Amino acid sequence: MNTILLQAISNPDVNLQAILPETIVAVTGIIVMLYDVFAPKQKNVTTVISLIGLAIAAYFMYSMWGGGPTTSWNGMIANDPLRISFSLVLLFVAAVTILTSTVWSERETVPVGEYHALLLFATFGSMFMASGNDFVIIFLGLETLSIATYVMAGLRKSDLKSNESAMKYFILGSFASAFLLYGMALIYGATGTTNVALIAERIASPTFPGLLLMGGAMLVIGFGFKVATVPFHVWTPDVYEGAPSPVTGFMAAGPKAAAFASFIRVFVIGFPLIGGATAAGYLHESWVTALAVMAMLTMTVGNISAIVQNNVKRMLAYSSISHAGYAMVGFVGAGVAKTPEVRDAAIAAVAFYLLTYAVTNLGAFSIISLVGQKNDRRTEFEDYNGIGFKSPVIAFSLSLFMLSLLGLPMTAGFIGKVLVFRPALEAGSVMLTTMVVVAVVNTAISAYYYLRLIVVMFFRERTTDWSEPKMPVGVAAVLLITIIGVFYFGLFSGSWIEKFVTPSAPTAVQAAK
Amino acid sequence: MDFITENLLTILILLPAFGAIALVGHQMFWKQEGQLKWITFGLTLVNFLISLLLFTGETTSPGGFMFEKNIPWIKAINTNYHIGVDGLSFWLVILTTFIMPISVVSTWHAVEKRQTAFYAFLLLLESAMIGVFVSLDLLVFYLFFEASLVPMFFLIGVWGGENRIYSAVKFFIFTAFGSLLMLVAIIALYYMYAGVNGGVGSFDFVAILNAMKSGNLLIAGQGASLLFWAFAIAFSIKVPLFPVHTWLPDAHTDAPTAGSVILAAVLLKMGTYGLMRFNFALFPDQSREFAYIFIVLAIVGIIYGALVAMVQPDVKRLVAYSSVAHMGFVILGMFSFTETGMQGALYQMLNHGVSTGALFLLVGFIYERRHTRQITDFGGIANVMPLYATIFVITTMSSIGLPLLNGFVGEFLIMVGMWKSTVLGITGSTNWNYIATMLAGTGVIFAAVYMLWMVQRVFFGKLTNPKNKTLKDLSWREIGLILPLMILMVYMGVHPAPFLKRSRESVVAIQERVVHQTGGTYERAEKKPAELEHR
Repeated sequence: MNTILLQAISNPDVNLQAILPETIVAVTGIIVMLYDVFAPKQKNVTTVISLIGLAIAAYFMYSMWGGGPTTSWNGMIANDPLRISFSLVLLFVAAVTILTSTVWSERETVPVGEYHALLLFATFGSMFMASGNDFVIIFLGLETLSIATYVMAGLRKSDLKSNESAMKYFILGSFASAFLLYGMALIYGATGTTNVALIAERIASPTFPGLLLMGGAMLVIGFGFKVATVPFHVWTPDVYEGAPSPVTGFMAAGPKAAAFASFIRVFVIGFPLIGGATAAGYLHESWVTALAVMAMLTMTVGNISAIVQNNVKRMLAYSSISHAGYAMVGFVGAGVAKTPEVRDAAIAAVAFYLLTYAVTNLGAFSIISLVGQKNDRRTEFEDYNGIGFKSPVIAFSLSLFMLSLLGLPMTAGFIGKVLVFRPALEAGSVMLTTMVVVAVVNTAISAYYYLRLIVVMFFRERTTDWSEPKMPVGVAAVLLITIIGVFYFGLFSGSWIEKFVTPSAPTAVQAAK
Repeated sequence: MDFITENLLTILILLPAFGAIALVGHQMFWKQEGQLKWITFGLTLVNFLISLLLFTGETTSPGGFMFEKNIPWIKAINTNYHIGVDGLSFWLVILTTFIMPISVVSTWHAVEKRQTAFYAFLLLLESAMIGVFVSLDLLVFYLFFEASLVPMFFLIGVWGGENRIYSAVKFFIFTAFGSLLMLVAIIALYYMYAGVNGGVGSFDFVAILNAMKSGNLLIAGQGASLLFWAFAIAFSIKVPLFPVHTWLPDAHTDAPTAGSVILAAVLLKMGTYGLMRFNFALFPDQSREFAYIFIVLAIVGIIYGALVAMVQPDVKRLVAYSSVAHMGFVILGMFSFTETGMQGALYQMLNHGVSTGALFLLVGFIYERRHTRQITDFGGIANVMPLYATIFVITTMSSIGLPLLNGFVGEFLIMVGMWKSTVLGITGSTNWNYIATMLAGTGVIFAAVYMLWMVQRVFFGKLTNPKNKTLKDLSWREIGLILPLMILMVYMGVHPAPFLKRSRESVVAIQERVVHQTGGTYERAEKKPAELEHR
C-alpha cells in the first residue's frame, strides 16, 4: 500500500493537457487580480480579460469532447462526459455573470476587479468539483469555490444585508464542509481509498461495512447543504436576498451545478447499484430512497414557501430550491439506472437541466439587477407594479424567463423538465413514479408565483413613478444571449442533448448498433 | 400553389405566429396602431381562405390523415413534428380559422389600449389552437396545448373585466395542473412503446396506436387506468366537465369579447377533441370501463349548468353556464360509443362554437353600448334595437335546439345515440341508457327556460330604464360580423349532411376501436400482466 503511494508520488501521472481549461481560468484570475492592483479605477478592462480567458477555457473544454472517458493524475482527474458537460455549464454561468455585473460600472462603487478575480477563482474551484475523481480534489475544489463565494456575497461592505448574507453563508457553509469531510473520512475508513472509481470497485467488500452507511449519510448532508435541498436549505433565502443580485444569480446557477456534479459523481458512480443483502446494496438502496424523499420535500417546501414571498429575490431563492429538487429527480433516475448507457443519459439530462436553469435564471437575475438599482433597493413585487407596457423589453423578457422556469413548452425549461423526468419514469418503480407525479404537481403550484410576477407587471397599474433603468451593453448582451438560449434550447435542443448524452465517440456507439 | 398544399397545415400554424412577430416589428418602425387591426384581420382572413384548401385533400385510407407531415424535431428524445388532419379535426381547424377574423373584427372599437400586444396575442393563440388540432405527436400536441394558455392568460389579464387577475390566474393554473399530469402519462407511454420497440421509444401517436392495434403494445390493469385518468383529467378540465368547471364562468365573464368568443368556440373543444382522439383510441377498455362516470358527470353538468344559469344576473355569466350544459351534451354523445352519438357530439362541438360564439358577440355588442351586462339594467330594448333583438332571438333558438337550426341536429343525434347505446347496461328492468337520455332531455327544457326567460327580461316588456332609450341598433360592421354565423346556424340546421359526411369515416374508426377492437387486449394482457403493469 505504502509502496503504491510512494510510486504515485515519485512518479505522478502528469497530464497538464487534462487540466488546461482549469489552469487557464486560474491564470486569468491572477491576471485580473494583478491588473486591478495597478489600475484600480478601471471598470471594464477586467470584464474583457475575464471573458477572453473564459472563452479560451471553454474552447479547450469543448475540444475535449469525443475523447472517451479517461483519467489522469493517477486517477484524480476524470475526463468524461459528466465533467465536460458540467464544466461548460459552469464556464457559461461565469461568463454571463461577468456580463451582468456591468450594471455596477455606472451606478455604484463595487470593487469590480476584485469581484471578477473572485468569480474566476470560484469558477476554477467549481470546475475541479466537476472533474475531481477523488475526494481530495472534490473537497479542494469545493473550498476554493466556497471561500470565493463567501467573499462575493459580502461584496457590499457597507450594506448590512450583504454582510449578514456573507456571514450566514460562511458559518453554515463551514459547518456543511465539516460534515462533508467527516463523511469522506468515514468512506475512506470503510474502503481504504479516496478515489471514486476505486471506491466503486471496493464497495462490494468493504473493510468496515458499518462506516459506509454513516459516511454516506454525512456526505448526503454535506452535499445537500451545498445544493440547498430540504431540510438543509434554510440558509438559502437569507443569503440569496442579501447578496448583490448578480452574485445571487451566480450562486443559484454556478455553485449549485458544481455541487451537483460532484454529488452525482460520488453517489451515482461511487456507490453504484449492487444487488444482494450487502452493506453496499443497502447503502445504494438507502441513498436512493433518501434522495427521492429529499427531492419530493425540496420541491414541495421550495414551491410552497415561494408562494408567500413578497420579495422577488427571495421568491427566486425558494424557486432555486425547488429547481434543485427537480434536478434531483433526474439524479435519482441516474442512481437506479440498470445499464451504463441509461445512467450516462440520466446524468446528461441533469447537466442539461442545470444548463437550461442557468440560462433562464441568469437572464432573470440580470433584469432583477437592472431594476434593483443602487444597492438593490427595488426588489419587492410592488416595485414591479405595472411596468409591463412602460418598459416592454424588460417586462416581456422577465415574463419569458418566468415561463421558462415554470417549464412551459417551447422554452428551455420545458425540455429540461422532460429530460429529467424521463429517467425516473423509465425505472418504473412506484417510488420514482410518485416522485415524478409530485414534481408535476409542484410545477402546477409553481405556476402561481411565477405568474404573479407577470400579473404584477402587466395586469396592475403603476401608482408610483417609474424611471426606466438605463441598460448597459453588458446586460443587453446577457438578455440577448439568454432569450435566444431559452428559445433555442426550447425548440432546437436536439443537437445539444445528443452531445450531452453521447459525448464520447458517438460514431463508435452508432457502429455498435 | 403546390408549395401551399404541400405544407398546408404548417402554413396555417406559422402564418399567424409570424404575423404576430410582424405586428411587433410594424409597431416598432411605424408606430401606427390604427393599422394593426386591418393587418390582423387580413392575416386571419387569409388564413381562413388557405384553410379552405383543406377541402381539396384526399385520404389514402378511410379515416386516414390528410396533409400529413412527419419531420424529426428533437432526435435525442425521438419526437417528431408530425401533423395531419382527419375527419375529427377537419372541421375544428376550419372552425378555428373561421372564428378568428370574426373575433378580430369584434374588437374593432373595443380595444383601444395596447393594441399591438392584443393582436399579437390573438394571432399567437390562433397558431397554438390550430397546432393542437393537427399534431399527431404527443409531445408536440402537449406543446401546443400548453402554449395556448399564455396568450389567453394575457388576453384575460390585461384586457379583461373587473376580476380579471383572479380569473386569469385561475384559468391558467386549473388547465396547467391537468395538462402536467398528462405530460407524465405521455412520457410513460414513450417508455411503454420503447419496451416493445427494441428500446426505441416514441411520442408518435400513430406509431403507438398502431402498436396497440396490432397487439404488440398492451396496456392493462391499474397502470392503464392511471394513464387513462392522467389524460382524461387534463381534457375534462378543459371541456370543462362538472366539478372542474369553476374556472370557466370566471374566465368567460372577465375575458374581453374576442377572448370569450375564442374560448367558447375553440378552446373548450380542445378538451372534447382530446378525449375522443387520445383517450378513446389509446385506452378503449378504460374508456368503456369508466364511461359511466363521464356520463353521470355530463348529466350533472347539463342540469346543474342549466339551473345555475337560470339565476345569473349577468348575461355573460349566464351564457358561460350554458356552455357548461352544452359541453355536457357533447361528452354524453361521445361516451355513448355509438356512431350517431359520436357524430352528434362532433357536430354539437361545431354548433356550440357557432351559437355560443354568436351569443358572446351579441353580449359584447350591448356591453360596448351600455358598459353593463346586468339583466336588470335592461328590459324592453327590442323597442329601440329591433334588429339586434331579432338576431339575438334567432341565436337563442339555435342555442336551445329549435328544429331547423343547428343546435337541434346535434342534440337530437346525441340523444338518439345515447338511447341506442349499450354502454351503461341494463339491471333488471332498468335500462340506464334510457334514463340517462331522459335526464339529459330535461336539460333541453331547462335551456329553453333560462334562455327565453333572459330574452324576455332583456328585450321585451316596457322600456323602463331611460338610459336604454337612446341605444343605437346594430352598425353595418356588427351586422357583417354576425351574418356569417347566422347563415351557418340555418345552413347547419337544414343541411347537416356535408358536415357529417366529412367526419364520418374517422368517427367510425374511433368508434370501432373503442367498441370492438378491444376484446383481444384483455385476453392477451392476462398472459403477462405483471410485467406490463409495472413497466
